[in-house]
Parts: sequence; structure tokens; C-alpha cells
Amino acid sequence: MAMLEMRDVEVSFSGFRAIAGLNLSVNQGELRCLVGPNGAGKTTALDVICGKTRLARGHVRYRDREIGNSEEFRIARLGVGRKFQVPSVFKELTVRENLRVGLCKPHGVFSNLVGRKSGESAERLEALACLVGLADELDHPASWLSHGQTQWLEIALLLAQNADLILMDEPTAGMTGAETHKTAELFNQLKGKHTLMVVEHDMGFVREIGDVISVMHQGRMLAEGAISEIERNPEVKRAYLGSGRISDA
Amino acid sequence: MTDTNSMRWRLTGYVLFCVIILVFPYILNNDYLLNKYARYLIFGVLSAALSFSWGYTGILNLGQAVSFGLGSYAMAMALKLRTIPIQTGAGGLPDFMVWNNVKALPWFWEPFHSYTFAVFAGLGIPMLLAFVLGWFMFRGRITGVFVAIITLAMLVVINLVIVDQQKYTGGFNGITDLSTFKAFGVGFDAYSLSTYYLVAGTLCVVLLGGLAITRTKLGLILQAIRDDENRVRYFGYDVASYQNFAFTLSAGVAGFAGMLYTLVMEFASPTFLSVQLSLSIVIWCAVGGRGSLLGAALGAILVTGVQGNLSESPTFLDTWMLIMGAIFIIVVLFLPNGLISLAEKGVRLLKHKSARETATHPVAGAAIATFDSKRVRES
Repeated sequence: MAMLEMRDVEVSFSGFRAIAGLNLSVNQGELRCLVGPNGAGKTTALDVICGKTRLARGHVRYRDREIGNSEEFRIARLGVGRKFQVPSVFKELTVRENLRVGLCKPHGVFSNLVGRKSGESAERLEALACLVGLADELDHPASWLSHGQTQWLEIALLLAQNADLILMDEPTAGMTGAETHKTAELFNQLKGKHTLMVVEHDMGFVREIGDVISVMHQGRMLAEGAISEIERNPEVKRAYLGSGRISDA
Repeated sequence: MTDTNSMRWRLTGYVLFCVIILVFPYILNNDYLLNKYARYLIFGVLSAALSFSWGYTGILNLGQAVSFGLGSYAMAMALKLRTIPIQTGAGGLPDFMVWNNVKALPWFWEPFHSYTFAVFAGLGIPMLLAFVLGWFMFRGRITGVFVAIITLAMLVVINLVIVDQQKYTGGFNGITDLSTFKAFGVGFDAYSLSTYYLVAGTLCVVLLGGLAITRTKLGLILQAIRDDENRVRYFGYDVASYQNFAFTLSAGVAGFAGMLYTLVMEFASPTFLSVQLSLSIVIWCAVGGRGSLLGAALGAILVTGVQGNLSESPTFLDTWMLIMGAIFIIVVLFLPNGLISLAEKGVRLLKHKSARETATHPVAGAAIATFDSKRVRES
């Protein structure tokens, strides 16, 4: 049984059908890349899963539970984490404080009022900062970080959250080649323990991390398979009009 | 470790301020001035409460004076019912009701015979009102300037109702001619030391308690909501509940400040929930520094203090408003984080100096080496 199942999902923004009958299923521990030309509905698909966007029709099932149109925080509590395209962290808080917010259990107002800091979580937090190379920045405000570091901080926040299903929207946007490579390594480590869905334009990055690639076009699933199959697929070539190969997109 | 270090500085500042306001009466032995400073300190409480919702959580409440006014009226109602019979009408009816041909005490005045009820009402009614309003606003994802407009509208409506219902509220004149509050055998006359200490003690509790709350994880989440509400939501926190907590707590503190204000002023008036006062709180908060409870409180004390002294001095009788205006503009332009940011800058300079002195310390090098080895193990 798949961990995440989307069946005949439809989303429309005042008449425009951003997603028109999307079917997608992702298994536990998989690293799934979601690619496609601009406007294919990749980001919208992630938005639907995490509750940001309402679906007009269809079903989204996560671990046999219908989550379509649930409130965002309820979906998040089930173990779905989301990284946004524009890196969003808490600018005025330090990196350490950011990570403490990310360690999100318990969720309630009053348990967080009386709860004490535990030494165990402090250690975990520092280990996370080391993992994404921010150990030296722990006590600096997040607004001091470079763009790439901000991206990593948000990824670390999701790891702190310990989400089972992590939705990443263009995690390497604005990163240098070396940074992108390091991110790919990190993702390969996470695969298995976590289930990842990554929307990405950088085909080099996709090649480094992807097992199965799903190609979306005009709100539908166009093709699915290993990267070599996808690159040979004539329909995919046609979708990326003018750019003979998907790699040039 | 910068984190705990700056915390130590902040705590020192807060404690120092509390000590100053607590020993103040020993330096200044003048009942009239004591009463005046008690008023300023109450404004400090009010401003710190706004800082909690605005500076920390990002909720700009332009209707803060609603809570303040309702608290003030709750206390005034209880004190009015205890005024000696000569000044109240037949059967203990408050004088203004007699003038307005009210025959019997209205039902909602009855429970105010009890001080305990009045104190709970002064806290509870503003909190309940804030909670209900907050429930609709925050569940409906209303943010930013719209929160400001809604709270301001709420203020205007409640002010109008109180002025309009003269029979029950004393209308334009408010509730005057009150008895002295007594609790645990202590009388709280407006010009007494006990009242000053009640006010100063409240400010200390609000500042230190508030600081403690901002240091919990809850406080951290509130600040995270201020920075990026949506990001917080996708971690599984119910943002609306957190916002409502800050909004309601702030209203409760403002309500308590209102009760104290009645003791100090010896009346309650619709001006206590006027738009003018409500906007003044925002100015105090901005001048002092909305991101700091102490800054906001200091802002209120400074602004109202300077305002009081300027407007009373014959030299500035015509120009004091202009001078105040100029001060606001200068602070907002050059110190967007308020006057408290000057103190923060000073502390940072001091720390920088001491950091340079310890930069060559061998332990620092060892720590960096440990980090590097850790990173290798992780990747």
C-alpha cells in the first residue's frame, strides 16, 4: 500500500484548472522527483498535499487517511513537512531558536508554556546544525545567513520536525554547484528513513538523487519511470517544446 | 553561548528597573508626585502589554484601551456601590442613576457589591471579549492592518455604548465620587504609598513574568509567528490558538492596569477607552521599543512624563505638542526599534570589546576542531 495516494485530483483557480485529474502514488521511503515545464502544476500538487490549496475534486490519502482539504496544522501533525520555494525561516530568531521551533512536539499552547528545555533536544539540535553545516551560525540571527544557508536551515527545520513525508519545492534554487552537490548527498542519506517528494528544475540534481521521476504537464501526469526512460520518452520531449531534451529545460 | 549572555544583560536591565521603581518613594517623599508617577507606571504596564501582542506576536491591537477602560469601569462600579449613603441615592443607588430616574439598581450592577467579583470582572471581561474577538479574527486568518482596523472599530463601538447608556454608566461624566479600595486591611488611597507599591509591584510582575514567558518555547513560537505565520503552521502548530493566547493575555493585563488606574485617578471615564489613548499606547510602545517589554514600559513612562512636565511648564504651554511630535518623528526615523535599541547597541559594543580580548583563547580553537570532526562523522 502506498504511503501517499492522489486520485483524480482537480484544483482550479477561478476557472483555470491548475491540476486536472492528477494520479500519483508514493511509497514509504522513496525519493520521488517531480519535474515538468513551468505551469505544469508541480507546486500546486505539493500545496494540495500539505493543505495550502483546496482541491475541487478527488482524493488525497496519506497512510489510508483522507487529508484533502484538512487544516494545514492537522496534516503537519500526521507527519507531513513542507519546504517552500522561497526559503522561509524566522529571520529575527537565531539559528538555534529556529531549530527549537522546528522541534515541534508538543504542539499545544499550554504544554509549551510550562515545558522545560531538555538536554537531549539541545544535543539533537546541534547535531542537526552540524549536518547542514550551520554549527558555527547557531547563535546568529537567521537574517545573517546567505541564500544557500537559508535553504539549508529550512531543510534542517524539516529534519527537526522529523516529518515522515517531506515535500521540497526547488530546494537547490540559488545554490552554487558545490552546495547543490552537498544537498544531493544529504537527500540520499535521508531517503529510506524519510519519504521525500522533490520538485526540481535542475536535471543534474535530479540525476544525482532520483530513483523514480514523475513528469507533469498541464496539470496531469505525463510519464513516470527511471531517468533514462524519461529522457527517451517522445511525449516528454514534446512537452518541453523547443528544447529537444529534458536536460535542457 | 551568546544567547545566554545577552539574556543575562537583559535580566540585569529588568531587575535594575524594578529595583529603581521600588526604592523610588524613599528618594521622593511627596504624595502628589507619587500619585503622578503611579499613573506613569500604569501606562508602562499598558504599553508592555501591547508590546507582548504587537512586538512579540505581530498583532497590532489598536483597541487596547477597550480592555483598559473595561477594567477601570469594573473597579469604579465596585467602589461606587461602597460610597457612603449621603452621596448615593435612596437604597444605595448611585447618584447619577438617581438623576437619570433609575428606580432600582440594574441587575448587572448587583454582583459588584463584592470586591472579589469586581476584580475577577476587571480581568475576566476584557479577556473574554478579546478571546471571542480573537477567535473570529485568527480562525479567519485575519492579519496585519485588518486586525488593527477591527480592534479600532471595536473600541469606537464600546466607547459609544458607554457614553450613550448614561443611565447605567454615567455617560460622558463616567463614574465619579468613589470610595477608597480596601483589601486585606490595607486602604488604597490614591495618594498613598500602598497604592504606589501596588502599581509598581504590578509593573515588576508584568515585566519579569512577561520576560519569563517570552523565554519559554511558547514565547519562541509567538516570535516565529510574527516572523512567518505560515511557516509555523506547517510545523503542526495551531497558529490561531497561539495568537489568541497572546491577544487574550495582553487584554487581561490591560484590564488589570485599568483597575489600578481607577484607584489612582479616583474615577472612571469614557476617555479611558478613547481612540486617543489607544493610539497613544502604540506611540509609547514604538518610541520605547515594541520588541522589548521593558522598552515599551520605559517608552510610556518617558513620553507621558515629558508630556506632563512640558504641558505644565509655562514656557512650553503653546509648543509642547510640536515638541512631542518632533521627538516621535526623530525616534521613528532614526531608531526604528525604539530607544531601547540604544541600550542594546551599548551592550553589544561592550561585548565586542570583551570578545576581542578573549579571541586568542586556546579553548576557542579546540571548539572549532570538535565541530569539524563532528561534521565529518555526519556526512
